Amino acid sequence: MWTLLQIAARNLAQHRRRTLLLGGAIAGVTGLLVILLGLSTGIRETMLRTATTLLTGHINVAGFYKVTAGQSAPVVTDYRAVLEIVRRETPELTYLVERGRGYGKIISDTASMQGGISGLDIQGETGLREVLQIADGRLDDLSQPGTVLLFEDQAKRLEVKVGDTLTISTSTPRGVANTLDVRIVAIARDVGLLSRFYVYIPMVSLRNLYQLNDNATGALMLYLKDLQALPAVQERLRAKLTEAGYRLLDPSPQPFFQKFQTVNREDWTGQKLDITTWEDETSFMSWTLQTLEGLTFTLISILLVIIVIGIMNTMWIAIRERTREIGTLRAIGMQRSRVMIMFLIEALLLGLTGTAVGALGGLGVSALLNGLGIEVPVAVQLFLMSDKLFLSVHGATVLLSVIAISLVTTLAALYPAYRAARLKPITAMHHIG
Amino acid sequence: MRRLILFLCVSWFGVGLLPSTAGAAPLDRAAMVKMLETIDDRQRNGGDYASLMYIERKEKGKTDIAQEALIYRRDADDKLMILYSKPKSEQGKGYLRVDRNLWYFDPTVGKWERRTERERIGGTDARRQDFDESRLALEYDPTYEGEEKLGNFTVHKLKLSAKQGVDVAYPVILLWLDTQTSNILKRQELALSGKLMRTSYYPKWQYLFSASKKANVWYPQEMRFYDEVEKDNSTLIVVKNVDLRPLEANIFTKAWLESKSR
Repeated sequence: MWTLLQIAARNLAQHRRRTLLLGGAIAGVTGLLVILLGLSTGIRETMLRTATTLLTGHINVAGFYKVTAGQSAPVVTDYRAVLEIVRRETPELTYLVERGRGYGKIISDTASMQGGISGLDIQGETGLREVLQIADGRLDDLSQPGTVLLFEDQAKRLEVKVGDTLTISTSTPRGVANTLDVRIVAIARDVGLLSRFYVYIPMVSLRNLYQLNDNATGALMLYLKDLQALPAVQERLRAKLTEAGYRLLDPSPQPFFQKFQTVNREDWTGQKLDITTWEDETSFMSWTLQTLEGLTFTLISILLVIIVIGIMNTMWIAIRERTREIGTLRAIGMQRSRVMIMFLIEALLLGLTGTAVGALGGLGVSALLNGLGIEVPVAVQLFLMSDKLFLSVHGATVLLSVIAISLVTTLAALYPAYRAARLKPITAMHHIG
Repeated sequence: MRRLILFLCVSWFGVGLLPSTAGAAPLDRAAMVKMLETIDDRQRNGGDYASLMYIERKEKGKTDIAQEALIYRRDADDKLMILYSKPKSEQGKGYLRVDRNLWYFDPTVGKWERRTERERIGGTDARRQDFDESRLALEYDPTYEGEEKLGNFTVHKLKLSAKQGVDVAYPVILLWLDTQTSNILKRQELALSGKLMRTSYYPKWQYLFSASKKANVWYPQEMRFYDEVEKDNSTLIVVKNVDLRPLEANIFTKAWLESKSR
């Protein structure tokens, strides 16, 4: 085997220009793959980090309360009893927060917007405090009733600043019109798409706005130690809450605000709980990831096809150039299988060297881009879920890219190598070329 | 000022048409309840009702929108249908209320959606209640706020508070009632927080003889709604071609509304 490796390496070294060209192409594709995978992983991680603090827990125990069949509110009544079961049945829990959910019109003196209204107790929101970057005002002031936190984009749309007053207009679960005047105490930096939808007010103000009592909330957001445990916890909570007599909505991979139509169509009244995961609640944003992953797949596939054609072509040239050598090797007793392996090793060596160089290059470019902290335009922020370009490259992903592309290049040489092995020694030795 | 001019312009309209029902003296509770019952009863038909409605919506930063819709009502069993006929983009869309359920149909998606009873009709400042039977005496308790002048009209100002256990969109309503005719000339609706949400003007009232009721049925020929939270938003509704003859039996069905968009 060592001899075959030496022959393959020598042959690659002899045809330096061809090797450099093809190896360079393989390195380029690998580098590009590493960067694109880093980008999509970066978006996924940013989405997980921001969405699971701004919008959702890893798992949410929420629900709908219907006063009449056609009128639902995102409310969990008598939530302390639910909380007790959730705490008891979730040993994987790191921490839990309670959030109020609402939807209404947010009106300034000059403009208005429809938006989600999230009620919270800012002192207990450790995760949120880490994620939010305050551009103006003080986050701690959000503990005062009648206050609101906006994002920069919302403040721009409403033409307001810290200290200004907004009116939130909505209907209570019983359909009674209500309003709440709130003072802007903090404006946070945008965090992509999410910051367009939500404003935050103290839980006590949300209860006041929606006329909810102290034992009603919007959702219990659970944060787990290990995300791998998520499906098991979800199943367990469904089973235990059903056992405790709660009615549950059928699982549906949608955020809660997309469920109103379905829930309003159903003929039931009273309380139904809904257990969702962070992926369900952010499914309206997952198109960004799917688009990027689709683009990555298409681009890499096209480039790989070009490389496969290049490898096959190179192998055909090598076989043609070395036909007499193959004939001689066969005549002195080399087995067909070893001839085949010799050519495969050559392709593998080329693939491994190219992908290794490409992966290193991709890692370097990713590190450089992260280090530069490049700010992206607002339109791109929506797509990237961040105001800065962030690539997350993991060792396992790099290794997988190297193995996958090396395997493809080796497999591309399979047919030419097989044809070389099939040459008859006498014919090969008489070959003139 | 815009609203004052509106009243000065219409101050002569309708007065001659309407019978005198009350003087200018302050009202006690019984008289106020009686007045609300009269308002409700005058607008109640008991039979069927059809009309053409012209809607003009103004919203800040947006192009003005004009729409036309047909209203069908069967008061005997609380059914209501609103079918949009203009512009072309809205044609075939509609609302259907059966019992306590309000449904919305959009032919472009071919789906029915259940909406809340307090839906803002077609995104305007008008609500379903504005086209439905009046239930003021049933839903509210009145208190007297005094006598005022509204343009050339002398009016009673009443404050209505929602009765216990009754679900209404606005818990408090202020009414300005013509002392001569008892017609509503102005109405203001307040949110639970006490904030003024909407002001409505009813400058033109008309009546028509109803065979089913065997008496006149009253309707506001023009309604002007002003959003008091977003000050620049307003909606004008003009009611035309009121017809109180019996409607087809199958009109208040989803199938009927769907058939109109085919």
